Amino acid sequence: MTATHTPRRRFLSSIVAGMIALPLVLGACGGDDEGSSDGKVELSFFWWGGEARAELTEKALDLYTAKHPDVTFKKTWQANQGYFDKLATLTAGDDAPDIFQIDDNFLSEYATRNVTLDLTSYQESGKLDTTKFPEGLWKYGVVDGKLAGLAFGENTQGLVYNKSKLEAAKQPLPETGMSWEEHIAWAQKAGAAAKLPGTQDPSADYKAFWVWLRQQGKEMYNGAELGFTQADVQAWFELWKGARDGKATPTADVIHEGNATDITKQLVVTNKALTSWVWANQMPELQKNTTDELGLVAYPGDASKQWPRASMYFSVFRGTEHKDIAVDVINFLANDPEAGAILGTDRGLPSNLDIRASVAASTDNASMKQTIATIDELAKNYGPSPTVPPKGHSTVRSELIKAAEEAQYGRATPAQAAEQFFAASQAAVSR
Amino acid sequence: MSPVAVTQAPPSPQRPPAGPAATRRRARPARHKSDGLAGYIFLSPWLLGFAAITAIPMLMSLYLSFTNYDVLSDWSSTEWVGLDNYRQMMTEDPSFWHAVRVTITFALVATPLKLAAALGVALLLNRAFRAAGLFRGLFYLPSLLGGSVAVAIVWVSMFNRDGAFNSFLGWFGIEGKAWVNDPDYALGTLILLAVWQFGAPMVIFLAGLKQVPQELYEAASVDGAGPVRQFFNVTLPILSPVIFFNLVLETINGFQGFTSAFVLSGGTGGPVDSTLMYTLHLYNKGFTEYQMGYASAMAWVFLLSIGLVTVLIFRTGKFWVHYSDGDD
Amino acid sequence: MPRTLGRPVVLVLLTAIVLYPLAWMLGSAFKSPQEILNNMAVWPREFTPGNFADGWSHFDVAFGRFFVNSAMVAGLTVVANCVSCLLAAYAFARLRFRLRGFWFAVMIGTLLLPGHVLIVPQFVMFKTFGWVGGDWPYAPLIVPQLLATEAFFVFLMVQFMRGVPRELDDAAKIDGCTAFGVFKHVILPLSRPALVSTAIFSFIWTWNDFFRQLVYLSDLEKYTVPVALTLFIDSTGQSAVGPMFAMSVLSLAPVFLFFVAFQKMLVEGINTTGLKG
Repeated sequence: MTATHTPRRRFLSSIVAGMIALPLVLGACGGDDEGSSDGKVELSFFWWGGEARAELTEKALDLYTAKHPDVTFKKTWQANQGYFDKLATLTAGDDAPDIFQIDDNFLSEYATRNVTLDLTSYQESGKLDTTKFPEGLWKYGVVDGKLAGLAFGENTQGLVYNKSKLEAAKQPLPETGMSWEEHIAWAQKAGAAAKLPGTQDPSADYKAFWVWLRQQGKEMYNGAELGFTQADVQAWFELWKGARDGKATPTADVIHEGNATDITKQLVVTNKALTSWVWANQMPELQKNTTDELGLVAYPGDASKQWPRASMYFSVFRGTEHKDIAVDVINFLANDPEAGAILGTDRGLPSNLDIRASVAASTDNASMKQTIATIDELAKNYGPSPTVPPKGHSTVRSELIKAAEEAQYGRATPAQAAEQFFAASQAAVSR
Repeated sequence: MSPVAVTQAPPSPQRPPAGPAATRRRARPARHKSDGLAGYIFLSPWLLGFAAITAIPMLMSLYLSFTNYDVLSDWSSTEWVGLDNYRQMMTEDPSFWHAVRVTITFALVATPLKLAAALGVALLLNRAFRAAGLFRGLFYLPSLLGGSVAVAIVWVSMFNRDGAFNSFLGWFGIEGKAWVNDPDYALGTLILLAVWQFGAPMVIFLAGLKQVPQELYEAASVDGAGPVRQFFNVTLPILSPVIFFNLVLETINGFQGFTSAFVLSGGTGGPVDSTLMYTLHLYNKGFTEYQMGYASAMAWVFLLSIGLVTVLIFRTGKFWVHYSDGDD
Repeated sequence: MPRTLGRPVVLVLLTAIVLYPLAWMLGSAFKSPQEILNNMAVWPREFTPGNFADGWSHFDVAFGRFFVNSAMVAGLTVVANCVSCLLAAYAFARLRFRLRGFWFAVMIGTLLLPGHVLIVPQFVMFKTFGWVGGDWPYAPLIVPQLLATEAFFVFLMVQFMRGVPRELDDAAKIDGCTAFGVFKHVILPLSRPALVSTAIFSFIWTWNDFFRQLVYLSDLEKYTVPVALTLFIDSTGQSAVGPMFAMSVLSLAPVFLFFVAFQKMLVEGINTTGLKG
């Protein structure tokens, strides 16, 4: 671990200390002061991902050490199962990693509680260079006026379809720009021909709901408040009830399987539907899980309402002893051409557009190429980004799944489900 | 090393024990004092562990249950909220009561089934026959899997619409449901998973069965008791402390059941909250919504309720648990 | 002995039912990722033994390293639990001292609090003790076991000891044994089934314990098997389902062997041990 952090989270520690003093004298070693007097610095760096990401990240960090021999890293990585539990526990123990990976589901939770370092001043002074980033992208890391995380990788919503099966059934492929109604009608027809439900029902999927809301001139959130009404939710649920009634989607139990976020459970991979609603950068990994050929288009409706979503961020712990170095490290990872070449598109399309261009030119992975092309194509029309989801977003997400499934299983009408969801999400964000 | 004195008296096959022992037992009050020091010496590791390791986090969680502690925030924004968490739980959180219902259903169904399976199989295996050891190991294997990712994948593929279980039903012309993905049946598959992992209580039953002195069976045989009467008159009474142990533990485990619900539903308690166990709701409150104060309050409500159940079980135990040490 | 009619049939049937999911799991260890997700049959269509080699060398650190770490943690835990819990259990089951009932109730009480609210306070506490991190980060996993904090085992052994006739203690006392003598000559030998159960459970639970090990271990080289197993599946990104199944199956092997080795001791009851000098 790195040396002592600034004395902020002393709350629990002081209770502990008090309690230890009471019953028994135990060999408590107390503080953990190990200064770094010789100029050598070890930064802890924590991310989630698979083995491939670990390899690339370690290589990129070693490159930094090669260029700055005084700086070494304590690298910890994990699958996303348990990642945020551990991060929260470390934070509570005032032992958070100096630099950690985070996503937009949790950025606000950490930022509003002052766990993350505000990077604004570094950005202004140029120590953190975002000039080559799409503006909407870095801005998607701003929470309450503070730059809470450096967007690391761009991503957007994508509709993945089973190209092999559609071609075998001699059906047209879906296209960017179809309306939602057209998509459902297409799914109905293609599904009947291919003898496989045409589309996963995305009514439980917040990212589909969000895009649809923006196309209706609404938002998921306005700041820390909901940007939609109960009537909007009801319309959304009714749209998909129609699709289910028209047999454009699978049955409720199969929809439920696909509502899991796991890549391996997406219906387009498990061969239970012709299309799935995913993040565009998941394409290559989805392709690995099936022998059929997959294709990628934008979500239905006006594609300009999609936005450059930061697939993840790097944040710096506010209590780190080495703020400047930590910021320099994430700046290096984002903007150094060599580091960019190592990291590739593993965390999404590189934020730095120059690096993105060179990475795109050098890749030979077909599904990767298609991902980059699709996102770049969509990027031409992006409107302004929404703000990062506020605190309570993870509850809103799970409430949406619950309410939408109530409707999917036919246990509630769209109106009842909408009422339930609206009340629960209002409570969640106003907490 | 020869155990002193023990040579004299193998346990008497008849109960109650023979006269001299009973007399000695009556004289026991005289021993109270003499054990005091020894008692605390033997207890000292546990006492130290309790004071230094168990008590502190427990008391901290009790304290936190009266605050709005959120794990991430600076201490200065952690406030004392009195009974607010407890009030919210009882009056404002519909999922709380839903989770209570799910949990009670699960515990009431899964615990007896699991114990019955464990005792039944233990009785079958409590004989010296070839490959008995192998069978014990095989029946224990499911428990070894715990709550791994592999188990979740296995279970879902067994009890899916096109899973093995429905193929099996198909032989009898029955069309199955999408068990794991159907809100009406998902809890059932969870119960089945718990029962499938009956290995742990089974091992304890097996160990208990080994404590039954063979002489008792022989004596019962001489008296003309058949296997059924032997079971009820010899096995069950002697096994009762172990049955009691398993009952207490499996009840607690049943109510606390977290792992299988977590892995099967991917942490959501779905479909539509049908597998939202109490501890899963608690976990989600604490670690995904960061309402750790609220989660702590939930934990203490759980402790008090389940403590009540445990006390009840202990009370009823007085009527059916027979201790050979005569120390009821 | 009671009737044996039908027992083999029942046993074989039961075994088939109980083992079917395990067989499926074993079969899946030899399937390609696509097949694991789509093929519901036990037998792989396309035999993929490469999962094992791939899983073993999937990370910078060979999987064997995780086995060694897990074995060390589990082994120490077994010893610690057997010793510390036996001492406490003897006190609770056999000795009379002030507040015994109270302490017993407290001990049962510690079983009742859902563990998730203890993770954060415990972490903070161990950090205050200076036990978190360092070259040997296993202290928070093992030291508590040395102090009998696993109430389950104390309770288990108490129940077993209470099944041992007290006449044995009394006889030993008449022969001049102190409480320590009774412990050594009567309780210790007669507690073998309970000790074996404790050993089996300690080992297996530690072998499977994920959450605590996840929180305290932060260095790939120090990871244990359950933590390492989750590294295969990053549900939102890259996954290696095939190697995960292969290593899951492999991780069962030591536990299975451990069990088969120790269950023999369960078979021998007090009839044959301890009583006759």
